[in-house]
Amino acid sequence: MVRLLRRVLLAMSTAAAIAAVLRIRGAGGVPPQTGGWRELEIDD
Amino acid sequence: MPPRIGVLGAGAVGSRVARWLLELEPGAQVVLGGSDPERVAELVQALGSAAAAAGNGHLHDQGIDVLVIAAPCGRHVGPARRAIRAGVPMVSTSDRVEDIHSLRALTPRAENAAVTSLVGAGFAPGLSCLLAAQGSSGFDVVDEVHVAKAGTGGPACARQHHRALKGSARDWRDGAWIRRPGGSGRELVWFPEPVSGADCYRGALPDALLLQPFVPDAARITSRMAATRQDRFTSWLPMLSPPHPEGGVGAVRVEIRGRAGASSVVRILGAVERPAVGAGAVAALAALALWEGAAGPPGVRGLAGSVDARAALERLARHGLRAQEFDGIAPV
Repeated sequence: MVRLLRRVLLAMSTAAAIAAVLRIRGAGGVPPQTGGWRELEIDD
Repeated sequence: MPPRIGVLGAGAVGSRVARWLLELEPGAQVVLGGSDPERVAELVQALGSAAAAAGNGHLHDQGIDVLVIAAPCGRHVGPARRAIRAGVPMVSTSDRVEDIHSLRALTPRAENAAVTSLVGAGFAPGLSCLLAAQGSSGFDVVDEVHVAKAGTGGPACARQHHRALKGSARDWRDGAWIRRPGGSGRELVWFPEPVSGADCYRGALPDALLLQPFVPDAARITSRMAATRQDRFTSWLPMLSPPHPEGGVGAVRVEIRGRAGASSVVRILGAVERPAVGAGAVAALAALALWEGAAGPPGVRGLAGSVDARAALERLARHGLRAQEFDGIAPV
């Protein structure tokens, strides 16, 4: 029973670690803090 | 004399190309062809007397000035080769990398036939190329161009989106092409409203291939596409459900980094539109540029550097497709 519990805990910890890595990895960019979109002035 | 333009394909993009041609150039005549005669007939009826269905034989044999190929990806090379052989300028809306390679390989034939043709004339590539050309106009040196797109047009476009996500991406980096796995490189990209923020990934996209000849000295040229986690997870499978007749509002965003004088400059341009509508507008503009003889010397090229981006964007803005610029501090 203890062995099964250990295995379950190990599986859950591994899954959580993988999910965390996937979540963090490649998260590029942050929301723009200032400014915004406006119509392009082509006469510039 | 008004232009007589053939449109091959009566789907979401082909029908928009025909409508845009008639809106941008009143008096133009459109000859429609496609694999579904019923759909072509319906479209001809809806467009009125300015449109006609193609008769028997190839579209390029029917007295047209320019041929726009708006068929599903993978069916562009044959009609393009025949049109060029017949001396008819051609516009292709395909966004499939293999199509772009094969179409650009027709350059010697186009030069021999003294025919100019434009490829990648859709939403992205297409509008993205016009935005990149316009955005880089004030730069002394362009160091980086990064393109991102969100949304799909009709069912054929959705299928291509699915294929692209599992395909191999080609990024231009420090003078060489490097391949990266599709679905990698997640980046949160901020498009104009209402699309706003979307996670974008690498994919088999041709934007960098088409932009590199325009900015040959740039160190980095990349392209990404918006996708959901489900899209990414299921990209290796066949499409699990049939695509919608047409997707919703999409967007394109082009970030250009470089130098002007002694300053480092970043410009971010974008546009929001239903992708099939935007693709139709750009393809129609490209066809009219070819008809006007304003698309450069003979050859097969992308839009950047071939057509006057400023005039094209002005013309689109007058008809409701307005480009936007992000004014503020770009996230680093």
